[in-house]
Amino acid sequence: MVSALDISTSALVAQRTRLNVISGNIANMGTLKNEAGENEPYKARYVEFMTDQDISTSDGAIGVKVSEIQTVEEDPIIRHQPNHPLADENGNVAYPNVDLHTEMVDALLATRAYEANVGIIEISKGMGRETLEILA
Amino acid sequence: MITSLINSTPIPALQEVIHFTDRRHEVLAGNVANIDTPGYKTRDLNVDVFQARLNEAIEAQREGRVSSIYDSEATMHSLTNYGSDDPMRSVRESLNDILYHDESNVSLEKQVTQVSKNQFQRSMAIALMTQQMRQLEMVISERVV
Repeated sequence: MVSALDISTSALVAQRTRLNVISGNIANMGTLKNEAGENEPYKARYVEFMTDQDISTSDGAIGVKVSEIQTVEEDPIIRHQPNHPLADENGNVAYPNVDLHTEMVDALLATRAYEANVGIIEISKGMGRETLEILA
Repeated sequence: MITSLINSTPIPALQEVIHFTDRRHEVLAGNVANIDTPGYKTRDLNVDVFQARLNEAIEAQREGRVSSIYDSEATMHSLTNYGSDDPMRSVRESLNDILYHDESNVSLEKQVTQVSKNQFQRSMAIALMTQQMRQLEMVISERVV
């Protein structure tokens, strides 16, 4: 049986995934090589949410899940650093396209959404407790 | 005998209220869960429609057309079973909020207010039900606690 707790939990999972991806973006702000060690600057990623049919009730209540983790296909930030070991023939180095401001704001949004769902979980728990008190 | 005793109290009606608020809570929790889902539209169960139907069921019982509100047509068919096009599922105008660029229209503040109101309504039904149960207990044991 799907309950309000399952629905709120699905949102907690989704928002935590989003926060993980944001952490990854910030951690890799200065990463210039990919997993294979090739010269390819890190590309920012973001999560996309969708409603989850597996967590739904006949009344139309529905949970959420991460549908995809997208990669931002933007040009890297080019800095002129002729003495850098990874500089190209023009003395330019390609840096990841991570925007720290965007990531921070996104992290705040994810945190607040997480908190909102924790609040709903607390209310759901309180409701269940009240029911048990009828005959207590 | 116990059934007719219970049916003579407001317990069945309170039970319907608790059941309804439970299901509405799930729907509202779903709205908060999908706060960042692109294209998600606010969902709700209509309190006014529910109360009108419950009222109808209670009237039917009071007029003696049915022995309990569960036998009423209003309760049997519309309080628990309804399709997605039922007016019970319609979102109230006041909750249809600004449409964001990602085609979603969930307003966290309004949802939380609705959750609180719903919780309050449920607490009230629970409190009344507890009191009714105490009274029944008293009647059964024939003593004043």
